[in-house]
Amino acid sequence: MAAENGPETVLPNQVFLAQAIRNPAFMTGSIFILTIVLAGCVSLFWTPFDVSLIAISERLKSPSLMNWFGTDHFGRDILSMIMVGARNSIAVACIAVGIGLLIGVPLGCWSAARGGLIDDMIMRGNDVVFAFPALLSAVMITAIFGPGAINAIIAIGIFNIPVFARVARAGAVALWPRDFILAARASGKGRLQITLEHILPNIAHLLIVQGTIQFSLGILAEAGLSYLGLGAQPPAPSWGRMLAEAQTMVAIGPHTALFPGLTIVISVLGLNLMGDGLRDVLDPKLSRVK
Amino acid sequence: MSLLSIRNLTLRFGRFTALDEVSLDLEAGEIVGIVGESGSGKTMTALASIGLLPDGARAKGEVLFDNNNLLGLDETALGALRGDDVGMVFQEPMTALNPVKTIGDQIAEGIIWHTKVSKKAAYEKAAEMLERVGLPPAQFPLDRYPHELSGGQRQRVVIAIACVLKPRLLIADEPTTALDVVLQAQILELLRGLVKERGMGLMLISHDLAVVASMADKIVILQNGKVVEAGPAKQVLRNMREPYTRQLAQASTYVPKRVSRPQGAPLLQVFNVSRDYALRRKSLFAKPGQFRAVDNVSLNINEGEMVALVGRSGCGKSTLARMILALHKPTSGIIKLGGVDINAASEAELRAARRNMQIVFQDPFGSFNPRKTVEWLVCEPLYLLDEKPTPDNARHLASQVLARVGLGDDVLDRYPHQFSGGQRQRIAIARALITNPKLIVADEPVSALDVSIRAQVLDVFAELNASLGLACLFITHDLHVARAITDRVLVMSAGKIVEHGKTSEVLDNPQSDAAKQLVAAAPDLAKVLAA
Repeated sequence: MAAENGPETVLPNQVFLAQAIRNPAFMTGSIFILTIVLAGCVSLFWTPFDVSLIAISERLKSPSLMNWFGTDHFGRDILSMIMVGARNSIAVACIAVGIGLLIGVPLGCWSAARGGLIDDMIMRGNDVVFAFPALLSAVMITAIFGPGAINAIIAIGIFNIPVFARVARAGAVALWPRDFILAARASGKGRLQITLEHILPNIAHLLIVQGTIQFSLGILAEAGLSYLGLGAQPPAPSWGRMLAEAQTMVAIGPHTALFPGLTIVISVLGLNLMGDGLRDVLDPKLSRVK
Repeated sequence: MSLLSIRNLTLRFGRFTALDEVSLDLEAGEIVGIVGESGSGKTMTALASIGLLPDGARAKGEVLFDNNNLLGLDETALGALRGDDVGMVFQEPMTALNPVKTIGDQIAEGIIWHTKVSKKAAYEKAAEMLERVGLPPAQFPLDRYPHELSGGQRQRVVIAIACVLKPRLLIADEPTTALDVVLQAQILELLRGLVKERGMGLMLISHDLAVVASMADKIVILQNGKVVEAGPAKQVLRNMREPYTRQLAQASTYVPKRVSRPQGAPLLQVFNVSRDYALRRKSLFAKPGQFRAVDNVSLNINEGEMVALVGRSGCGKSTLARMILALHKPTSGIIKLGGVDINAASEAELRAARRNMQIVFQDPFGSFNPRKTVEWLVCEPLYLLDEKPTPDNARHLASQVLARVGLGDDVLDRYPHQFSGGQRQRIAIARALITNPKLIVADEPVSALDVSIRAQVLDVFAELNASLGLACLFITHDLHVARAITDRVLVMSAGKIVEHGKTSEVLDNPQSDAAKQLVAAAPDLAKVLAA
């Protein structure tokens, strides 16, 4: 009989944690990300060297016990700069994902709850935003409003809105015709209340997974904008600008490009691994097939 | 020498034993029925016979097809067998077909793979087969997609795929469970004809004793992975030597004790209600066509009355139910509950009306938000009360209604997925009861349940009717259920109510074509055994 064909069974939180810990992708990813977040947090109080300290005599030193990742062309410690830069990257990605979630998810849920003309208008509006290449438009926005971390955040955030709106709408549209939503409507609940109580908890896993992926794209976008000189402005260190500055010195001091580059790779890889792992754990339909 | 011979098959998943020393024989041209409840190992027996055991299954014993032990064969050898010598028909015609391929492609796929003929030859064969299963290519061209066909037609396509290579063994796993009784009768007739014509062996898996009794030569009754009884079908079912066989038979024809109640005041009145749906536009400028799902329906339900609404799938039963519950708006007509017109009612009046009518759904797995506790779910309709109870009171109310349906306090803090189908259906009834409604609309409330659990749930409804005077609109395509529990029956066909009257009178002596068709198609164990 149809006993096994029920909707995806939901894991209580403890089971979820136990599963997450057993998932190698999720664990590897979280270790990468935790390390970087921790480094960013520590840099608030302490860094091996002061990042504003310029010591030309110490310039372009190779990695040593003193300077683990070496020094750049101004003699600044690269490890310290990466630690401080992590703050910038994380903050930009966090806020950009936050903008996407806070505006995109309500739009998507509203779209699914109302249907009809409103649905069409919201989703076509989304398509228009999607039609612009994100990074190019971010360049445009920063070109108009001036470079800087705030404008970078806004630019990246705007392009997260349609992503979350689509994911939320797709999840919600599939839920609306379900019997338990009908039961809630038979209990006299309105669209807003049903969305809060029934739709959101059931699309949360989609949003979490999408969130980690957008987070990694946010870090990448921020690095890209800083590389072009449109992100955080000097002297605030940022991974993207470190790469840009190292570009001319790769031949003399390859470590100046290597370490910021590696950091970007590791954080993006870590977030993607986390996203994959979370998807497997949160969506039992996928993880069962092995 | 049997076509298929299963010898002492034991199947384990970790510590769980799915099949325990199962043996059965199937000759060419013979139909063996396998009957049992959920989890009895019916499907595992079928999968073992086609060499499709899931990963992690450890099998002992022998599955001899034509004297080859399937358990010892590798994937290549099994692949050559599947589809060619052994065909399979699945329960759910909606998911058994690939939605992005035409039916012709899906039938031809197996022919090309197994016989290496040209595409053209394969299509010719496919067309022949479609003709045989009752979908003549003149009306159902090979380039149709599955979504353009109805459930019964799709099941015919699935059967065509399974039978096109003239397999010697056909395995049908609940082939008619997802279909209404009239389609069920047609599909069973088709299977019977194919078996006779081609001398195939058919393994028919079903939870419905009446279906198996009318089809099978031999019957195997499974319980918890063990064979309880096996033998010639009619003999086994007439003698009922094993208590479990008797229990199954009794449960499938179960009639709960009912107390006849005096007729109450009119509760629900439906006057000339219709509902149209817009069809897809044919072109950008054409006006979209209309489909009339419910056509000028009028009905009455009195307080404390049990009324059945029977009809084939797609006849508009569920649309009507949703309009009665004010979940859909009728295109025209008036629906009154306790004298209040629910479509013209103010917000406050509508809340009062909603308190008096609640719903129980067919699918016990889809009717709960999987992320909420039972307490939360059962208390949800309390939102309709003008004075919201305190959390303590709500919990108390929840445990009271759960006790009414035979569940203890311990279920309150658990999640829906921790319960079986029957338990969930009780929880669904508890949720419907918590506002003390006068009317419950039950949309096929027992058709997804095993027969023994079905009997228990019917008992719950009968008891609630007797003790609370609850009126109930029972939507069903199962005439046994209608007969067992309702006073009056309404027969619906193509959006109209074509016949109504006392349940026993209508079902014993149907007048309209639709009712006659339903009664004739309904499988009836007693009738089969008497014949």
